[in-house]
Amino acid sequence: MDVTREIFWNVGNVALIVYILSAIVVFILVYGFYKRVKLWRVGKEEKRGDFIWERVKSVLLFGFGHKKTLNETYPGISHFILFWGFVILFLGTLIIFLQEDVFSPIFNLFFLHGNFYLWFSLILDFSGALAIIGVLLALYRRYVIKPDRLDNIFDDFFSLILILLVLVTGFLTEGARIAATRPDFERWSFFGWHIALLFNPSWIEVASLLVWHKIFWWVHLGLAFLLIGYLGYSKLLHIFSSSLSLFFRSFEPKGKLKPILDIENQESFGVSKVEEFSWRQLLDADACTRCGRCQDICPAYLSEKPLSPKKLIQDLKTNLLLSSKSLKKENPEEKRPHLVGQSISEDELWSCTTCFACQETCPVFVEHLQKVIDLRRYLVLMEAKFPQELTPMFKNLETNYNPWAFGFATRADWTKGLEVKSLSEDNDVEILFWVGCSGSFDDRSKKVSKALVKILRKANINFGILGNEEKCCGEPARRIGNEYLGQILIQQNIEVLKNYGVKKILFTCPHGYNTFKNEYPQFGGEFEVFHHTDFILDLIQKGRLKIEKKINGDLTYHDSCYLGRYNDIYDSPREILKHISDGKIKEMERKREKSFCCGAGGGRMWMEENLGKRINQLRVMEAEKTDAKTIASACPYCLTMLSDGIKEKGLEEKLETKDIAELVASLL
Amino acid sequence: MNIVVCIKQVPDTETKIQINSDGSGIVTEGIKYVVNPYDEYALEEGVRLKEKFGGEVTVISLGPERAKEAIRNCLAVGADKGIHLNDPSFEGSDSYVTAKILAKAISEIPFDIILTGKQGVDFDNSQVFAYLANFLNLPFVSVVMDLELSSDLKSVTAKREGEGGEKEMIQIPLPAIIAAQKDLNQPRYASLPGIMKAKKKEIKNLTLSDLDFSADEVGEKGSRVKVKNYSLPPERKAGQIIQGEDPTEVCEILVKLLREEAKII
Ligand code: SF4
Ligand code: SF4
Repeated sequence: MDVTREIFWNVGNVALIVYILSAIVVFILVYGFYKRVKLWRVGKEEKRGDFIWERVKSVLLFGFGHKKTLNETYPGISHFILFWGFVILFLGTLIIFLQEDVFSPIFNLFFLHGNFYLWFSLILDFSGALAIIGVLLALYRRYVIKPDRLDNIFDDFFSLILILLVLVTGFLTEGARIAATRPDFERWSFFGWHIALLFNPSWIEVASLLVWHKIFWWVHLGLAFLLIGYLGYSKLLHIFSSSLSLFFRSFEPKGKLKPILDIENQESFGVSKVEEFSWRQLLDADACTRCGRCQDICPAYLSEKPLSPKKLIQDLKTNLLLSSKSLKKENPEEKRPHLVGQSISEDELWSCTTCFACQETCPVFVEHLQKVIDLRRYLVLMEAKFPQELTPMFKNLETNYNPWAFGFATRADWTKGLEVKSLSEDNDVEILFWVGCSGSFDDRSKKVSKALVKILRKANINFGILGNEEKCCGEPARRIGNEYLGQILIQQNIEVLKNYGVKKILFTCPHGYNTFKNEYPQFGGEFEVFHHTDFILDLIQKGRLKIEKKINGDLTYHDSCYLGRYNDIYDSPREILKHISDGKIKEMERKREKSFCCGAGGGRMWMEENLGKRINQLRVMEAEKTDAKTIASACPYCLTMLSDGIKEKGLEEKLETKDIAELVASLL
Repeated sequence: MNIVVCIKQVPDTETKIQINSDGSGIVTEGIKYVVNPYDEYALEEGVRLKEKFGGEVTVISLGPERAKEAIRNCLAVGADKGIHLNDPSFEGSDSYVTAKILAKAISEIPFDIILTGKQGVDFDNSQVFAYLANFLNLPFVSVVMDLELSSDLKSVTAKREGEGGEKEMIQIPLPAIIAAQKDLNQPRYASLPGIMKAKKKEIKNLTLSDLDFSADEVGEKGSRVKVKNYSLPPERKAGQIIQGEDPTEVCEILVKLLREEAKII
């Protein structure tokens, strides 16, 4: 007997019907998909056609390889085995199709037999079993563990059950077939063989087994077709949409906002209707799998503010679907909810700290941040609607080039007694120290500026500052959505810097650093920029800075979002701490890529925190758990927020916070 | 409804004021100028009235060329027209002359209500609105914190803050002059389309001859107040913290200091 099986065994001559049905369901699937593609394409143009090979690699690595999905063990593994189980089953079905309808009839070639058949059966059987385990794990997680980040809708239940039933009926069909025929080699179909053992001749005759097989076969086929048809209209669409999202991911620097180009000559600004987003941004609405990882890590959500990045994307999707009628030409007047105000509330938008945690963690590269900024831009630029605390902040930026009410002529007052030279006196310097607004005006941060001056002098660096010619880098205004004001400041700064022929710039503020590094080039400002953590480490390693003493007591390090997640500077600050510390470096639970924001980014520094808990306090409490004496940080916002948090929590006796520059300077 | 808002361009409140070498004025270099904050409340109220009752807001300002920028800022937040009283001979005008020139210009345009700030934050004279009322023969209410227009648009009810902090409700017929206090409203921020549109709005420039004045009637020559000399107030001394364990003792020192050093009790 040949080691193989007959494809349409026991079900008669149904090939034609099956193929006609297949064609129909595939058409239904493709149609559903096509309709989605059309929906995304109401969005504006956006170029994502470069780096083709990198894009393919993204799909392989993050899609097939589950690179980010596997960052979390349980959900990662359950999805991985379900996915790969299905991929292999799909390939198996493809092989059967090729054998039956291509190689046999056309080339008279028969390969699905002998050892190949045995291995084929074994692998497919195990894949099916793995997929079942994957579904069961997913069901258990969704309906028994019920993590907060998952919201359950019918689609979730139906999809999982449908997949489960397709798999189970597949095994039942196989089991019945094997039970009825019992060739010994089918032991290789490990699970099918054991199911076959259940159909014991002692209680079921071969004749009724044949009937049962037929029933299982048709039910399995019907369910499989239902699943395929359902794909294009359900959450399962993410198989395609998320893959597209991976393919069309951004290769721009993370900390770069899309500019509004030629802003003076535009008529509308920001986004108030779905169609004003780009097609790529609309694709996100379907790419999002509602996995909730972004929500789980979002400081706004965790501090009980109205924002959840997952909900934001879903609300966008709902609006897109509700808008789809009015987007058609025949129905332009069809009523639809306002994107800002109804689908997504203003409070949600103002709650975002732009910490980038959502985007960093999202397994399918959904881009939340640009959307938040686009919607904010609409509110600020078109409607002039924003938390009222921001009005004086904008006006201060306009008249005094800093977000607080300090006269611009007092910008260099912190240098009194230090004799720091400004470029207007002498522009022959190695590097420009960009002091920034916090470093110039905020009492706490001025100490950091002074510490850095001390360090630079010890290391014999010939540096200068812009003094009163320095203006806010434009970052806060831009992140709040005031692109116009942001661009004005950026352009004015670039002009001054170019006049002095500045090439290298050193920052204590990660926000200034990020915007100069990633955004100034958009406006023609190309400079070589350094954050003081990288710079100081380099001085230590090159021996230009000799540190003989050590800091006492344990330290913990708080990652600034704009230094860490935005610019991948995680190690330099930690390295410096190792150099200067006597005690241990005790990491907080959330660190590096998963670090928890201090609460001040995205312009939140200048907004009241009236909703929910205070983010800075949550972070300070986390730091307290490490039992470290000092929270080292490397950002003026973090410094302010953490200092405030320590005071608010009454922990001054136990805990203090210091910028890394201060710690280093204290040893010189 | 025709709404006129008188504004003044003043040095930003954070400016470090310096006196020039001969004490005849302040150093103007490096000063950032803004719309007088009290005038911003007046403007906001004007724009709100327009939004509610329809009509037009005209912003009028006396000042050198740079004052155009202030007028432009007002056009960006919703004023429709600008009038700039701009002539070198106007320089040095005191409140009396300023009001005289403003009155002349305003009397040539239609108006139902005139709004302005309760004072300019530069010289803090708080006089122009009263002179203006006198020249135009109109009633006025100053330090207005709340404003209500009657439905027939014939009168306004204004809540004002008296010198002792007491509140008065005053009803006067229109046309009238209202001088705004800071709690009157929350001035808006200009939208970007507003800023762009403002660039295209017309600002009418009126000079000495346009207003039929002679050079002697305006500027320093026409003014009744002459500034002899400018000087900075003495630097404020650092605060003093009285240390001590015993409250009675501390109180005694405090009373002594208040009596002998501060001389206020
Ligand atoms: S945006 Fe990404 S991380 Fe957030 S729920 Fe959707 S898929 Fe998950
Ligand atoms: S950027 Fe941060 S605060 Fe904003 S939605 Fe994402 S995780 Fe939340």
